[in-house]
Amino acid sequence: MDKRSSSPAESVLSCARCGKPAYLQCPKCMELKLPREGAAFCTQDCFKAAWSSHKSVHLKSKLATGIASTPSEQSQEGWLYCLKKGQTRTSVLPHFDWTGPLRPYPISKHCLVPEGIEKPDWALDGIPKIEPNSDLQNIVEIKTPEQIERMRETCRIAREVLDAAARIIRPGITTDEIDKVVHEATIAAGGYPSPLNYHFFPKSCCTSVNEVICHGIPDARRLEDGDIVNVDVTVYYKGVHGDLNETYFVGNVDEASQQLVRCTYECLEKAISIVKPGVRFREVGEVINRHTSMSGFSVVKSYCGHGIGELFHCAPNIPHYGRNKAVGVMKAGQTFTIEPMINAGVWRDRLWPDGWTAVTADGKRSAQFEHTLLVTETGVEVLTARLPSSPNVFPWLNP
Amino acid sequence: MEGDDENPPLAVRIEEVNEDGVSESFSQSEILEGTAGQSPVGVTVITGYLGAGKSTLVNYILNAQHGKRIAVILNEFGEEIGVERAMINEGDGGALVEEWVELANGCVCCTVKHSLVQALEQLVQRKERLDNILLETTGLADPAPLASVLWLDDQLESAVRLDSIITVADAKNLKLQLDEYRDYASFPEAFLQIAFADVVILNKIDLIPHEDSEPGTSDALEDLEKEIHNINSLATVIRSLRCQVDLCKILNRQAYGAQNLAHLEELLEEHKSIPSTSRHDYSVRTFCINERQPVDLTKLRLWVEDLLWEKKSNMDLYRCKGVLNVHGSDQLHTLQAVREIYEIVPARKWQQKEKKTNRIVFIGRNLDVDILGDSLRACVVLT
Repeated sequence: MDKRSSSPAESVLSCARCGKPAYLQCPKCMELKLPREGAAFCTQDCFKAAWSSHKSVHLKSKLATGIASTPSEQSQEGWLYCLKKGQTRTSVLPHFDWTGPLRPYPISKHCLVPEGIEKPDWALDGIPKIEPNSDLQNIVEIKTPEQIERMRETCRIAREVLDAAARIIRPGITTDEIDKVVHEATIAAGGYPSPLNYHFFPKSCCTSVNEVICHGIPDARRLEDGDIVNVDVTVYYKGVHGDLNETYFVGNVDEASQQLVRCTYECLEKAISIVKPGVRFREVGEVINRHTSMSGFSVVKSYCGHGIGELFHCAPNIPHYGRNKAVGVMKAGQTFTIEPMINAGVWRDRLWPDGWTAVTADGKRSAQFEHTLLVTETGVEVLTARLPSSPNVFPWLNP
Repeated sequence: MEGDDENPPLAVRIEEVNEDGVSESFSQSEILEGTAGQSPVGVTVITGYLGAGKSTLVNYILNAQHGKRIAVILNEFGEEIGVERAMINEGDGGALVEEWVELANGCVCCTVKHSLVQALEQLVQRKERLDNILLETTGLADPAPLASVLWLDDQLESAVRLDSIITVADAKNLKLQLDEYRDYASFPEAFLQIAFADVVILNKIDLIPHEDSEPGTSDALEDLEKEIHNINSLATVIRSLRCQVDLCKILNRQAYGAQNLAHLEELLEEHKSIPSTSRHDYSVRTFCINERQPVDLTKLRLWVEDLLWEKKSNMDLYRCKGVLNVHGSDQLHTLQAVREIYEIVPARKWQQKEKKTNRIVFIGRNLDVDILGDSLRACVVLT
């Protein structure tokens, strides 16, 4: 399953029968667009020997796709690569001039959310309808006490879901397994994982490893000792969303990465410390930019903090870079996120063929932290704050 | 039944096949905004009523032999459909080539750049050389939202920048609209399109009744120009017949940068005081306020934000442009605003012989020049 090679011409697939390097594949599997894993062989002889057991894969696939006609239905069986923002799948690793060592891995099938859980309007067909047309894209909502209470509850659930994911982070587990934990924990709490099917996003959370800036799609890749991974969770519960993310260390992480992650944590901390009524939204970018420059890192400019509440994303837009023209000042009752993404190298980002995963243009690492905040009369309330039960995963928080 | 064979088929050599066959769209190197060395391509928004002559203008620009590589985005479909048609004069001898620009759909809510901007950047990236982009809008009543989307932060180092907004007006119809609909409320579009314009092309001037003088020179046209300037004194009015205009006057105007200062100051020179018919006007008007004394920058920002964001008074501000004499600074600062988005930046050092002053032009509705003048004066640093 390893796709570590940087040159796409090499095959590091192993023969499904004997394990030797494989350069041949089953034509039937190709025809049915099944994954190459398990369908690669070193020689025709091995293929012949494995045939009687191998061919059952075709039958299984035929049965599964018997009723289905669309490519996305085909993904119900087998793990495939994501394309077109999640609207299609392919069994072949797409072409791309990858910026760093990381590659996409096939993703698992669509997870279900039980009946009885309140779902946002994109759950069914992938297309948000209320959100893009809402007035709340232009005006910043002042939440009522009732809405605030709901947000407190939902954000607390989101925090607990993220903590559950944090607890299983270790070398060897796949980001898909993280997603499963997030998905299960969310529906167990009676919530809907907001990212699922949001503009066709295929999974219930975003997992962003190393050079991935944000919106990484959970897949079959195993976390490796030395990786850093961000898990971004949003829960929809009682009609409101709660959004947070944290970057974690996998095993033993090098000094540079530790500094990057810590600096990012501090950027968010400093940004939160200036939040109170009367402060301009554009000030957030100044604070983050200052702290980042001092540490020799750069701020991602393409993605920003956002208003949140009954909508997943709405006004205000809060850039994280300095000298921006963000409109408006903070007022008590507003809820929004601040989610700085900080890069070890250049600030520029690029998009993977899947249409979601944003990576650093130079392949160097990136870290992120996010909270959902409420502006109070005198300052700020961090709705997604760490709990006493939150796992101890940030060394700098220990005295 | 198929697949029931005892013997397997011939295994196939594994080749790196790109199933989609569209590697191009992925290795487009994404948004390499501001590719090293290349200055951003100016985007000119063309607005105006159907029949005023927008298409004529666009065709004229595309077909005239000027040596410039220009792409015109026809803005016919919008986000719903997700594509726009573009015409580019990059064929042999400047022949027109049609292209499709795809708007990135999806999560634009937490991205800083609007899908239209991303699409334009991709277009610039794809082409070897583009000198200008024209965005022809159909039935755009209010250019402000489009201007907001295109007026990007410098920090983004985008491959595109908003150059100017050009309104094409049919001289005869405009006169009718402005005469009949003096009250903004019943017919806002004409007023908004002029209010936000950097250039107004007064087209079809031959249709304006003229006395024994030549077409294109008449009191009626003079009056019309005055009326346009009453609404928007910052706009340059160009008279034309069939939209045959000097391209230098409409392309690369840099109306939204701090760079084109000569232009800015020249405009401001003319507006030492605008004789207004009344100090308080209900329809869309331009006012210019002056203040010699240096202002406190912090107070000034709060003042601008009060006007643009809080809207405590009934004044509706559309556009602002000004130069500022900032206390404690030897730099001339410029002020630019479109609706709620504004920017104050230091531009250059005041020259020795220059009379430092604050001069701000406002375009909007319900403007009260007394309130504007007084509140600006409140920002002055008393020395």
